[in-house]
Amino acid sequence: MIPYYYIVSRSLTYAQRTQAVLQRAGIYGTIVRSPGEISATGCSHSVRIAANRLQPALVALNRSGLSPTRIYLSREDGEFQEVSL
Amino acid sequence: MIYLDNAATTLRKPPEVGEAMHRAVTQYSSPGRGGYAAALAAGELAFRCREQACELFGVSDPARVVFTASATHGLNIAIRSLVKPGSRVVISGYEHNAVTRTLESIPGVEATVLAGALFRPEEMVSLLEQTLDSSYDAVILCYVSNVFGYILPVEAMAAVCRARGVPLIVDAAQAAGACPVALEELGAAFVAMPGHKGLYGPQGIGLLLCGEAPTVPLLTGGTGSESLLQQMPDFLPDRLEAGTHNMPGIAGLSAGLDYLRRVGIDHILWWEEQRKAQLVNGLMSIPGVTVYASETAQAGVVSFRVPGLDSEVLGNRLARRDVAVRAGLHCAPLAHETVGTLETGTVRASLSAFTTEEEIRRFLGILRTEIARPSGGKFPGAAVFS
Repeated sequence: MIPYYYIVSRSLTYAQRTQAVLQRAGIYGTIVRSPGEISATGCSHSVRIAANRLQPALVALNRSGLSPTRIYLSREDGEFQEVSL
Repeated sequence: MIYLDNAATTLRKPPEVGEAMHRAVTQYSSPGRGGYAAALAAGELAFRCREQACELFGVSDPARVVFTASATHGLNIAIRSLVKPGSRVVISGYEHNAVTRTLESIPGVEATVLAGALFRPEEMVSLLEQTLDSSYDAVILCYVSNVFGYILPVEAMAAVCRARGVPLIVDAAQAAGACPVALEELGAAFVAMPGHKGLYGPQGIGLLLCGEAPTVPLLTGGTGSESLLQQMPDFLPDRLEAGTHNMPGIAGLSAGLDYLRRVGIDHILWWEEQRKAQLVNGLMSIPGVTVYASETAQAGVVSFRVPGLDSEVLGNRLARRDVAVRAGLHCAPLAHETVGTLETGTVRASLSAFTTEEEIRRFLGILRTEIARPSGGKFPGAAVFS
């Protein structure tokens, strides 16, 4: 399984804003329904980015005033590992 | 048909509106309800429409653009968010029943009405300055009167609200697409608008632009987010968008907003101003017609009446000649009370970007004929209020 980072958003619109900011920074992100394991309060959406794009993504999001509250790494074994922010 | 009821609904739309709606019906499911292509496409379209609204109406955050069913729906949310039993509010004397009936439904609300004279914007500002203090819970203003087309001085009145620290709700039902409306410049708590008038979208879709005020959901239900929680989410737009979105409506609205951007609101304003001048001049040339008009403080909505001839009767006569106008009280008895036309009502002709010079010319000819028929047409002199 290819490792990705999942930037969890409480709403679809917030995920879409996140995706738009990343796109402007040249970072490709895909909006997906969050896997249940990382969706603490039920349904949510995440922006999935390549594992090597997290740092520039965080810089771009911080510059835009969008501060992610939770980010997970999907490991090669299929498990999710929360990233300390 | 000569269609002059655009203040009710702009019947003639850009063709892309219907095409976009058809695509939505056949290709899009529900935003936020799935990870498959049709749901994601719906989500992308909804987000694009929010971004379009942000650009047009001066909103920096697409999450603050909430889809509603209509301006009335949006006004209900806005008013119930700010106005509680016993609240004190200031409203203009030109408000629609969407505002006044909603206020009436909340027990013990004390509404102070600014009954400034028609087409006297400076008087409205002065009245608000004299009236408003921090004991009021909200000010509610229509940007443009749906009866008389009167453009209220909302920017100046918003400045008074900001200075006194009282939240402002703007009913932009007639203004959106016809006047510059900018949520954050106004510092308004809410701006409500329909999709089916000056934005050239379909009926059944509207927008509520939300400022910083707290919001109270009018509907509760599924949002596709935080489903484990039994309270509505505390974030926009989900907090105010329970239930499945009106995707055909959103698609049509998005196409309408594209049209506005492509043609330009300035061009549409210029076009409507030309048609309005033609209409007003023509009405004033007909003996016995009282016209409510202003060169500087009126959008493309013109009321008139013929003393001695019931407005509804005249409206029906015109309808039989395939002319679409709106007669009566226009769901705004307060506006008629303010101007003194509550007993008679008025006939309203309202314009759009699709109203042609030829339509106005033909309308004026038919009107002359109809008011000259027995029971009308014996009245001297046209009058104009400006």
